[in-house]
Amino acid sequence: MSDTYAPHEFQYSSAEHQAGTALAGMWLFLATEVLFFGGLFLTWIYARSQNLAGFDAGARETELWIGTLNTGILLTSSFVYSTGLAFARVGNNRRLMQCCFAAIGLGLAFLALKFGLEWSGDFDKHLWPVGPDFKFAGEPTEGGARLFYVFYFIGTGLHGVHMVGGIVLVAMIAWRARRREFSPLYVTPVEVVGMYWSFVDIIWIILYPLIYLIGRS
Amino acid sequence: MPPRFPRLLIAWVLLLVLLGVEFGVAMLSFAPWLRVLILLPAMAMAAIVGIVFMEIGRAPVVARGFATAGLFWLLVLLGLGSMDPLTRTYYHTTVEHPE
Repeated sequence: MSDTYAPHEFQYSSAEHQAGTALAGMWLFLATEVLFFGGLFLTWIYARSQNLAGFDAGARETELWIGTLNTGILLTSSFVYSTGLAFARVGNNRRLMQCCFAAIGLGLAFLALKFGLEWSGDFDKHLWPVGPDFKFAGEPTEGGARLFYVFYFIGTGLHGVHMVGGIVLVAMIAWRARRREFSPLYVTPVEVVGMYWSFVDIIWIILYPLIYLIGRS
Repeated sequence: MPPRFPRLLIAWVLLLVLLGVEFGVAMLSFAPWLRVLILLPAMAMAAIVGIVFMEIGRAPVVARGFATAGLFWLLVLLGLGSMDPLTRTYYHTTVEHPE
């Protein structure tokens, strides 16, 4: 792709118009995602307020070190991807591709820790809240703990699905960077995917204290 | 390194510091209803990610409008939805069972 000419589709008056429309479209999508996860956060407020002791007892059973490490991993992956975008803006497709691979690696590490290690441990401890197998040490607070684990599995599961989608999108950017499709005049897809990747990070930033910290203090 | 790199690096370090603060504060003992204050560092972290990594300040006006609308309706959702659990009063009553 040329470094001096920014192409655009026929329905847009300019490349800037096309880029602005793409960014606005992604922000509109993210606004719907905010409300989607808003329902989940409201569930947390309601369930915790009605079952305080059990809900907090459930939170104390979570693996704090995995949650904290995963938060650091996601913050780093957002930083790495944003660095790749900065490289793309100066025309360095190779560095962008490397940053995408690093972000993908961090995303996969997050998923491995969350689902490979933490969830499997939760299943071993009989913390899956649906059905008669649920067992919780603090029996008087079992009801609230069961509700906590409903929130935990739905929240982390939905976030994990978004992570998988983000990894696929970042891989597509890496593939296009390998083909040198981006230039200082054309980085819109890199920007749009970066917004989504960082948004998934923000969701985890909120989920982390709700799941691991607030019930512990 | 690209020109924006120092800004990104500072943001990343700040995010990790805030994560440490959040973790440290969570180890202190709070009353149950004060514990939501642990969300303050998380909100600061979300703002940094939105401003520096997602570049909301560089987005077109209509995109900033969408972002603002998303936050506004989130506040409406959480605010109205929290009214019942946060204001409900429980009265202790005794029930007399007929002999």
